[in-house]
Amino acid sequence: MSATTLLQNTLNGLAIGGIYAIFALGYTLVFSILRIINFAHSAVFTLGAYLTYTLTGAPWGFNGLLAGMALPFGLPFPAAMLVSAIISGLVSVVIERLTLRPLRLRGADPLLTLVASLGVAITLVNIIQYMVGAENFSYPGRPFGAIPPAINFGSADRPVPVRTVQIIIFVVSIVIVVALTLFINRSMIGRALRAVAEDATTASLLGISTDRLIMLTFFISGFIAAIAGTLVGVSVSISGPYFGIAFGLKGLAVIILGGLGDIPGAVLGGLILGLIEAFVPPAYIQYKEAVAFALLFVMLLARPEGLLGRAVVQKV
Amino acid sequence: MAQAARSEIILEARGLSRNFGGLLAVNNVSFAVRAGEIFGLIGPNGAGKTTLFNLITGLNQPSAGTLIFAGKTLLHQRPHQIARCGIARTFQNIRLFGGLSALENVMIARHIHIRTGALAGMLSLPSARREEREARERALNLLAMVGLTERTDAQARSLPYGDQRRLEIARALALEPRLLLLDEPTAGMTPSEKHGLSEFIRDLCDRLPLTVMLIEHHVPLVMGLCDRVAVLDFGQLIALGDPAQVRSDPAVIEAYLGDE
Repeated sequence: MSATTLLQNTLNGLAIGGIYAIFALGYTLVFSILRIINFAHSAVFTLGAYLTYTLTGAPWGFNGLLAGMALPFGLPFPAAMLVSAIISGLVSVVIERLTLRPLRLRGADPLLTLVASLGVAITLVNIIQYMVGAENFSYPGRPFGAIPPAINFGSADRPVPVRTVQIIIFVVSIVIVVALTLFINRSMIGRALRAVAEDATTASLLGISTDRLIMLTFFISGFIAAIAGTLVGVSVSISGPYFGIAFGLKGLAVIILGGLGDIPGAVLGGLILGLIEAFVPPAYIQYKEAVAFALLFVMLLARPEGLLGRAVVQKV
Repeated sequence: MAQAARSEIILEARGLSRNFGGLLAVNNVSFAVRAGEIFGLIGPNGAGKTTLFNLITGLNQPSAGTLIFAGKTLLHQRPHQIARCGIARTFQNIRLFGGLSALENVMIARHIHIRTGALAGMLSLPSARREEREARERALNLLAMVGLTERTDAQARSLPYGDQRRLEIARALALEPRLLLLDEPTAGMTPSEKHGLSEFIRDLCDRLPLTVMLIEHHVPLVMGLCDRVAVLDFGQLIALGDPAQVRSDPAVIEAYLGDE
């Protein structure tokens, strides 16, 4: 493997792995507080990608209720991503209040909650399809403005070009991971979140309102999901309303690999899955998911408690 | 404890009952706790003492009766709301956040005294940082008060048993409660540790505007420490009075003290 391919593959792997990581963080946060897998997370990811697309002022295609329409204004790409993330965070909170909370208050089995969240995911995805059809959309033009599309890491005669967008994705992912880790480990609210994750009853006896922290958790998880969705969209494209569901399965694999509820584990798991996929030889590219999942399976056989080998729900 | 404060009622239970299926864990119990006193609660295992604490802190709702704290009903209030009213507790089987440090365990109880919102916290605004610093200082003071200064950064689950008990009390005090419920605080302690804790509780009540309800099996400790003692047996209140009265009550001797 040449130096160029090695570098390019590594960066591709880290970029996509970074997205897997932040996406999986959303699952992990919710799991550590509520002990449920929230499938709606993958639909919010999709929603975020579509919202960012809309907010940049890009037009819709030939299908769906919104065919041919566009917003009368367009936000710069970073602003569009931020607004989309905020809206998606709120949508995530609404989903929790309308579907998961009623079930929780009735003491429903976690499996029931899981199925309900899957129902929400499919409904949301279908609404998106009803609005804009199942076409493939790409973010128009150069979303990051004047930044060149590729940077040469080699010399002039032996170029090692790397797509700028991959670097940006990786940096954004790292920033999110670091910010979230600091927030959870250092702030009063982060500390309360960890307390609720460990023992919600005792936390409530210390005056901590679990409901509000759950809302916050869902907001953060939806916020990050939208950024992850947007980053995938900008790296490849939005390949249809179902693209988040397939991605959601990988997110699940990542958190299981990382050890459920373990934040560093989820990050490491995401990066590993991204790198494995990036190094699948081009000849087998259509099997890259099979290869990646087979390797995950082998890793889990070796370390069933997850990569970092901790018990469920730990200091993050 | 000023004499004036003694007459003021801080917690009142009237006809309080709680059944679990067919079992009447608490059966038509009425009593009043005076502000500033140390109120002992004794009785054989399964007498309903911890259930009573669970009713007061909102972990269980009463099947019948009323509970009034500082003039406000506690019925239909969620545990976190009751905690915010000024009631804190510890547990018979210690419930610390094992993965968190001793300091963090205490700081968590400062959460209700935080004014800045989630966003300020996330963005680490100066106001949030200041509150964080204040919470840390308060927590460190409390840890010093219970003698855990050397252990602030130790993971709670790694602490020796006696330290865990003291840490749980420090955490409860961080809420700045008006009523502190201690569920067998000296369980598993050595006699000298028991004595030390007993002194500590008396000292707290003298220094702070604090009322203590105490579940305890060690009868000499209860009799020495408490201003008044209530005796539960099979969910019913069978005696209530100052230690001398309770000790000589024939029903108490038969139900509980006689077994000793």
